Amino acid sequence: MDKRGTVYRHIGQIRRFYICCRLVACLLYSLSAAVVLGALLLIFLNAWLTWTVAILFIVFICQLLYQKSWSTNEAGILNFLNQHYPELQESGNLLLKNPDELNLLERLQLSKVEENLINIPIRQKHFWKPVKQAGIVLAAALVVGALLATLVHLKPGLNLPGNEQAAVKAGKTVEKLLPQINAVKITITPPAYTRKVKRTQDKLTIEAEEGSAIAWEVSTNTPVKHVALLINNNRIINLKPIDNDKQTWKVQATINQAVFYQVSIGDKLSERCAIQIIHDLPPVIHIQAPQPYTYIDAGEAQQVNIRAGINDDYGIADAMIFATVAKGSGEAVKFKDYKLDAGLSFGSRLPHYDLQKLIKLPALNMEPGDELYFYIQATDTHQQQSRTDVYTVSIQDTAKLLSMDGIVTGTDQKPEFFRSERQIILDSERLLKEKDSITAVQFKNRSNDLATDQKLLRLRYGKFLGEESESDIGGDDNNAVSDLNNFGNADVIRDQYTDKHDNAEDAGFFDPAQKAQLKATLTEMWKAELQLRLYKPQYALAFEYKALRLLKDLQQKSRVYVAKTGYNPTPLKLEKRLSGDLSAIKSASIKQEIKPKEDELESLRRAAEVLSQLKADTPVNIQQQQILNPVNRQLSAKAARSPGSYLSALNALNSILSPNRKIKQSDIILVQKAIQKALHEVSKTPVAGQNSPDMGLSEQYFKNLNRSRQ
Amino acid sequence: MMQNNWNILVLIICLVIGAVVTWQEIRRVNKRLLSWRILAVIIASTALAGIAIPISFQKEISVDNQTEAVLVTDGFNPASLSAYKNLKRFTINPALKKRHPKLVLVDELANLYTDSGITRLHILGDGLSAYQLSQLHNLPVSFHPGQIKQGVTAVNWNTRIKNGDELKVQGTYKNTSANKIKLVLQGLGTSLDSVSIKPGETGTFELKNTPKISGKAIYRLLTISGKDTVDNGSIPFQVDSTAPLKVLMLTSSPDFESRFLKNWLSEKGYAVAVRSAISKDKFRTEFINTPAIPLENISGSVLDQFDLLIGDLSALKTFSPQNSAALHKAVTEKGFGVIIRADSAAGNSWLQSSFKTALSPRRDTLAYPILLQGNQQPLARITTGPLSIQFQDGMRPLVTNTLGHLLAATSLTGNGKLVYTLINNSFSWALAGNKGDYAKLWSALIRQAARKTPPEANWAIHTDIPSVSEPVDLLLQSEIAEIATAGSAALPPDQNPLLPFEYHYQYRPEKTGWQLVKAGNATNWWYVYGDEEWQSIRKLKKQADTRHYSLSLAGVNDVTKQIQKKATILVSKIYAYILLLLACTFLWAEAKTAGAATTSRKGQL
Repeated sequence: MDKRGTVYRHIGQIRRFYICCRLVACLLYSLSAAVVLGALLLIFLNAWLTWTVAILFIVFICQLLYQKSWSTNEAGILNFLNQHYPELQESGNLLLKNPDELNLLERLQLSKVEENLINIPIRQKHFWKPVKQAGIVLAAALVVGALLATLVHLKPGLNLPGNEQAAVKAGKTVEKLLPQINAVKITITPPAYTRKVKRTQDKLTIEAEEGSAIAWEVSTNTPVKHVALLINNNRIINLKPIDNDKQTWKVQATINQAVFYQVSIGDKLSERCAIQIIHDLPPVIHIQAPQPYTYIDAGEAQQVNIRAGINDDYGIADAMIFATVAKGSGEAVKFKDYKLDAGLSFGSRLPHYDLQKLIKLPALNMEPGDELYFYIQATDTHQQQSRTDVYTVSIQDTAKLLSMDGIVTGTDQKPEFFRSERQIILDSERLLKEKDSITAVQFKNRSNDLATDQKLLRLRYGKFLGEESESDIGGDDNNAVSDLNNFGNADVIRDQYTDKHDNAEDAGFFDPAQKAQLKATLTEMWKAELQLRLYKPQYALAFEYKALRLLKDLQQKSRVYVAKTGYNPTPLKLEKRLSGDLSAIKSASIKQEIKPKEDELESLRRAAEVLSQLKADTPVNIQQQQILNPVNRQLSAKAARSPGSYLSALNALNSILSPNRKIKQSDIILVQKAIQKALHEVSKTPVAGQNSPDMGLSEQYFKNLNRSRQ
Repeated sequence: MMQNNWNILVLIICLVIGAVVTWQEIRRVNKRLLSWRILAVIIASTALAGIAIPISFQKEISVDNQTEAVLVTDGFNPASLSAYKNLKRFTINPALKKRHPKLVLVDELANLYTDSGITRLHILGDGLSAYQLSQLHNLPVSFHPGQIKQGVTAVNWNTRIKNGDELKVQGTYKNTSANKIKLVLQGLGTSLDSVSIKPGETGTFELKNTPKISGKAIYRLLTISGKDTVDNGSIPFQVDSTAPLKVLMLTSSPDFESRFLKNWLSEKGYAVAVRSAISKDKFRTEFINTPAIPLENISGSVLDQFDLLIGDLSALKTFSPQNSAALHKAVTEKGFGVIIRADSAAGNSWLQSSFKTALSPRRDTLAYPILLQGNQQPLARITTGPLSIQFQDGMRPLVTNTLGHLLAATSLTGNGKLVYTLINNSFSWALAGNKGDYAKLWSALIRQAARKTPPEANWAIHTDIPSVSEPVDLLLQSEIAEIATAGSAALPPDQNPLLPFEYHYQYRPEKTGWQLVKAGNATNWWYVYGDEEWQSIRKLKKQADTRHYSLSLAGVNDVTKQIQKKATILVSKIYAYILLLLACTFLWAEAKTAGAATTSRKGQL
């Protein structure tokens, strides 16, 4: 019975081994599937690791469920052994039968076979087979996966010099700390007015608001004697230890301009890092209304509506309108200043405000003829002020417009119709004044009459522009046509009954600007007439005034003249010209030496050649170093002024120059770019051509040519 | 020697094998077909020797049965090979051999020539370089070139420029692809200029940039298709500093134009002497960067000290007859240059005889932009008055305005040059701060007129795109022959038989990059390109060279037809193989039948 137990155990071991093999094969197959699919995912989706693990699990579980290798029982194993080991004599299955049920023959056979069963090796070669196959498949999958993955990386042109931008960008983000430094904590406290919260960062490159307090806290992994910040290569800020181990150092400083700095521990310096300063800009004011120059005609409402938008990067503290009223004219002009409230509360200090303010001009004691100058001034939370241009609003001076000054002077020879517009205005005003005392019909009649006057005036002016005159239409003097002598003369009839537009002879000889103004005048007259015909003389008044103003301007323009002056020189005596005695006069002679200006960037110009000869992975030799050292100085001066654009190049140059360091191609390109950026163009200089060495051949040729010509 | 030893070794081994095997055959008990067997053994061993040793024989051939061969080079169309099925196919490129194993690889082209069975060579693909063609020793060739599909097909730029000059890269690009191609001029890691070539078009391009650096530099021409840089060629050039000139300026009265010109020139370290008349025979003289000399009398010795005279016409006309003759002599014989600033002075002196001015029909007081010759970009506007120069023979226009009026021109006068300009108020540009245009205008005028510097020996590189794979032809223009050194090699001169001042040197560069060649005082830096650069141009050059070679030998071919010549003809090894196979087959079959015969006999027994 004991022997039987051993045999059972033996069979169990074979079964376990079989299941193990199946599981391993399963795992290998799913691994290979995961590798290939993962590589494909990497190509198409770029996200692969999690997906690969997921695929691995899914495939593995599917295979397990399909194969159900755990369900293989001893009977199966024994069947397999029966097939492969003749010495079992196809009787392995007897082992599974209940010993009590065995007949004598079976028992004999079993005891014979039991010996052989124990001798069967546990590690069946046949069980290994699927594992081996799976291994081969996995190897193939790995090769395919690797090929696919390299395909992704080997996109063409990646290593050509045109694509170094990516390398440069990558270089920017990585920051190398000194080996002694464990961690860096930088706290930036922006000034209160920015209303920005305190922030910390672990990178040395800082971007801070102007006036921020920057605190560096450097913790080292070993106690060090001295930690400092070297700013712009010339200023040193020492850090103070805040613990007894001298492992944590701290300092706070306020930096108001863009600089670069290095952290120095002992005698070692870190890479250069930039501090970029975000400056607070003064507020920006946009006036949307009114126009820079506004003219309020008589009849228009005497008020200005100011609309403006005020913007700032942090907040606006205050805004005011500064107004000045100018009264009078000539020497009697008087100014009065007003400070007008913007009508907004700036308590919340928002970065944007919309200003809207209605200014009633009579409230500022303004009368016709006065002018208002105003500008808006805004102050931001950093007490920076900005102001707009000065805007002008003027009210038309009707009294001056109606005055007869200049018209009654003797030289004036204007025809009477120039006075007519004035007359129409006066009549319109009188009509408005008397409106209450006359009947509606009378009012309308008088308004209509005024409109007719306006029309006649317009037609008269229209003549100047060559417009057709209405007076001809419907006229009764058909003399020329009714004349018998003209019977059958088509020209006469056509002359009578056709419109003669734009006859050049009818038009005055005005220049285009004058014509344009005359047309504008006519337009205003049209509008005035319209309002009068609608019995609204109060509206017509504005147009009438405008027309009058334009007419006055025209009048002034026609008065420009230049006075004629005369000059008679005394006659020259030609025989005495250039005959003076000049012997006592000495010739002036000046001698000077002017050295051409030293080009301070000459070192940069030369360095380009050296840089192009530098090769990756070979250190700089001494001559090259001599040329590159001045470049280092130039670049660090540039970097101090604008670290954003030159600091990375300066770091790259330093890594090129540092001994025993291999040169990186990306570093060379960074420095080259900075040089190209720093240099300004060379101005052209004249230069002589060069004769080619020809042993006097061309000279001989020229001589012989000359001889043959003679 | 090696070959001889090999032959002897093979013969001895074969003899021994033959002897042993024959002895074995004789010793065999069954003496059936003994003589046949011995014969077969001898044949087999001889064939074995024939396989190992090349056998050739001499034969008289006439060209009627001339043999042709095919030489396959890079860029050939595999389909085209089928036309030459019956011919031997050679290649000199191991890479091609790898791809097309049927090709026969030859180490040296000279081998093709010495195998004199070949009387004509068909070259497929891009052809051979001039150097390789020279190794063919006038073997007649018919060339079947491949097509260049994509790439820069011509390019040129000014390899030596002066400070402030523009680098101009011009060329043509053949684009047969469906993508737009962008050509970018890149220098110092920065893109400086670019142009795009439309799909399916062969377009010309011009890329310009004024280099800011001095010394040697390598810019690059990148070919970008989509986002990928598909090609990249070096553009090496040198920026030389300028040597200051000595300028003499004469004015009939102090004026702004000469004053600004004097300031501008002296700022750059040029030597300037100015004489302006302030009254009759009274002058105000000014010397900057030059020792003071009396300028009352402008004699030949005074002129010798300067490279250039800038003067207004009135001032030049007040010259005494002796001085005028001295100036004429200096210009015609010594190459002295004069820039004449025209004014209202009338007359017909030799200075103005070659430049006729005309009053333009309408009186224009407006300013027009002006154009420098050979430069499409107009300079700023300038008022020039109603005069313009009339074009006539022997005159070269220098400056025109946009109306086409000629404002400055030059004409050769003997060895020297006269430049006549109507522009008298360019100082307004300097006043307005437009220094760039001012410098461009006066640089152009002075460059034309200035006395040329005395000749120095100078170098030129005759090979278009020098590379390490081929010898480079260097040319020295010099009065004396000298041994040149390049790298560590000393190069012997080879004088041009027609132009005695030209010497050719051949040099095989050892590495790519800048190289220095030196002969006496004449040194020159030149650039050796990498093999992968400017591929399409190299191909075109090869094609052109091969075509030229094949055409130059087109006549020779007809002559050789008449000639009978002795040819060494190689016996193909296939015969030896067949003999060996036949002999061995016979021996094997004999052994089998002999065995069968004995067993059958045994059976009978």
